[in-house]
Amino acid sequence: MFGLPIMTIVLVGGAFLLIILALLYWGLTFKEIPA
Amino acid sequence: MIDPLAAVLVILYFLLMVGIGVWASKKIMCMSDYVVAGRSLNFWVFTMLMIGSVCSGMSLLGVSGLGFKFAWPTIWEQLAVPLSIAFCIIFFGVKMHAVAKKSGYMTVQDYLAHRFESQTSLRSLSATAGIVVSMIYLAGQYTAISIVLMWLFGLPHWMALLIGAAIVTVYTVIGGLYAVAWTTLIQGLILIVGVLIMAPIVIMAAGGFTHINEVMAAVNPSNVDPWVTGAGAVFTPSYIVSFVLLLTIGLACAPHVINNILCVRDAKYFKWAPLVAFGIYGVVMFLLKFAGFAGIVLVKDGIVQLPKVPNASDFIFVYGVQAAMPSMFLWGIFAVIVLAAVMSTTDRLMLTIGTYFSWDIYKKIIKPDAPDKQVLLVSQVSVFIAAAVTLLLALNPPDMLVWLIWAGIGIMYATFAVPLLAGLYWRRATREGALASMALGLGASLVFGAISYFKLASLPMHFSFFAFVIAIISMIVVSLMTKPTSEKVLDETLTGWYIRQK
Repeated sequence: MFGLPIMTIVLVGGAFLLIILALLYWGLTFKEIPA
Repeated sequence: MIDPLAAVLVILYFLLMVGIGVWASKKIMCMSDYVVAGRSLNFWVFTMLMIGSVCSGMSLLGVSGLGFKFAWPTIWEQLAVPLSIAFCIIFFGVKMHAVAKKSGYMTVQDYLAHRFESQTSLRSLSATAGIVVSMIYLAGQYTAISIVLMWLFGLPHWMALLIGAAIVTVYTVIGGLYAVAWTTLIQGLILIVGVLIMAPIVIMAAGGFTHINEVMAAVNPSNVDPWVTGAGAVFTPSYIVSFVLLLTIGLACAPHVINNILCVRDAKYFKWAPLVAFGIYGVVMFLLKFAGFAGIVLVKDGIVQLPKVPNASDFIFVYGVQAAMPSMFLWGIFAVIVLAAVMSTTDRLMLTIGTYFSWDIYKKIIKPDAPDKQVLLVSQVSVFIAAAVTLLLALNPPDMLVWLIWAGIGIMYATFAVPLLAGLYWRRATREGALASMALGLGASLVFGAISYFKLASLPMHFSFFAFVIAIISMIVVSLMTKPTSEKVLDETLTGWYIRQK
C-alpha cells in the first residue's frame, strides 16, 4: 500500500495512533492541581 | 531578478512583525510583562507559542533535507518533535505551573533554585548553560533565515543574516514576550496554512505519494524501511531510540520551550493543549518530510538541481517549491512561510537568553537590589548582544543545518532533563546531585558532540544519549551520598512520584 512495506505502515501508523489515544486519555482524565 | 510583488510581500511581513513589537511594547510596564507576558496567555496563544518555539528552521528546511538524505528511516522525527510539546506540558508544565503561580517564578532557574535550595551555584550554572545552548541553537536558526533570503533575493550570506537578525531583534527587544507570543500566533498560522498548501503541491509535482515511495524503493529498498542496519548505516534501531529520546525530552526541557509554561493564564489549558499541539504540528511535520522525499524524485528526474553548497540538502524544499510553482510571487509567499517558522523560534531564543542573563545572573546574583526598570534594560541589551554574537557564529554554517540544531538540542537534553525530572519527581534528589548532573551532563555532551562531529570514533547512538546516561548516574550517586532537601521545600515544590495527585 502507498508503495511502502507493511512493516513501515504498521509501525509508524501504530505509533501515531497510540500517541493520539494517550493524549486523548490525558485530556479526558485531566484534573487541575488544587491551589 | 527579484519579483517586485514578492519583495513587497516579504517587506510587508517584516513590517507586520515590527508593528506587533511596537504594539506589544506599550503593554510592558514591568519585568513580569516583558518576561512572562504578565502570565496572561490564553489557550491558542499559548499552544501556538509552544508550536512556534519548537517549530524552527529545522522544521521547514532541515526536516525536508533530512528526509531527502536518509528517507523513511528518519520518519520517527515526525512523531518525536510534536510529542515534545505534550511531554513538556504533561511532565514539566502541570506541576511547575502550579508551584510557579504561588511562588512567582519568572524563569525555570527560579524553580531549580527553590527546589534545590541553591540560589547562586545551581542558578548560575543552569542560566549560563541555558544561554550557551540557546546561542548554539540560535546560530542554526539564523542560518535558515539566511538560506531563504539568499535564495529569494540572491543576497550574500552575511547580508541575509544581518537583515533577518535585525528584524527579529527589533521586535523582541521592544516587545518582550508579548511580542514574541503574538508574532508567533501570526507566524504559526502562516506556517500551518502555508505547509498545508505548499507541501502537497511539491508532492504532486513529484508524481504523488505512492510514486515517490516506489521511486525511493527502486533507488534503494531500505529507503522505505522504518530503519536501516549494516555497516555505515546511520538510522539503525539503537540510533533511532536515542534520536526519539533526544527530540522528545530534549526539546521539552529546552529553555526557550519550558519557560513558556510560566506564561499561561490558566492551568486548565493543559487539558487539551498536548493533543491539539501534537495533532496540528504532527500533520505539518509529516507533510514536510514527504516534501523532502519528493525531492529525491525531483532531483533524480533532473527537475531540481541543488546548489553546489556544503549544506545543499537543506535547500531541497525551497527548490522543490520553485520547481513545482513557477511563479516568483508564489516563491515570495513561500519565503514568508519559512521566515515565519524560523523567526518564531529565533525570537523566543533571544528573549530566553536576555531573561536568563538579566533575571538569573544580574538581578539574582550580581545586583539583587536592582530596580525593575534597570533589569528590563539589561534584558533588552542582552537580547541585542546575543543577536550580535550569534550572527558571528552563524557566518560559517556546518554542512547540514539540522546537525547544528540537533547539537543544540542534544546539549539541552543532557544538561537540563535530569535535574528537572529528578527535581519534580524524586524527593531524594539533592542540590549536589543536581549540580553534578548538570555540570557532567553539559561537559559530557560537549565531549561526545566533538567526538561525533569530528568523527573521532563511531558512536552507535546519538552523542547526547551517552551524556544523558552520565547525567542520570551522577544525579543518583551524588544525591544518595549527600544530605536530603528539607521536607518543607519538597512539599512546597510538589515533589514526588505523581503528576496531578498528592
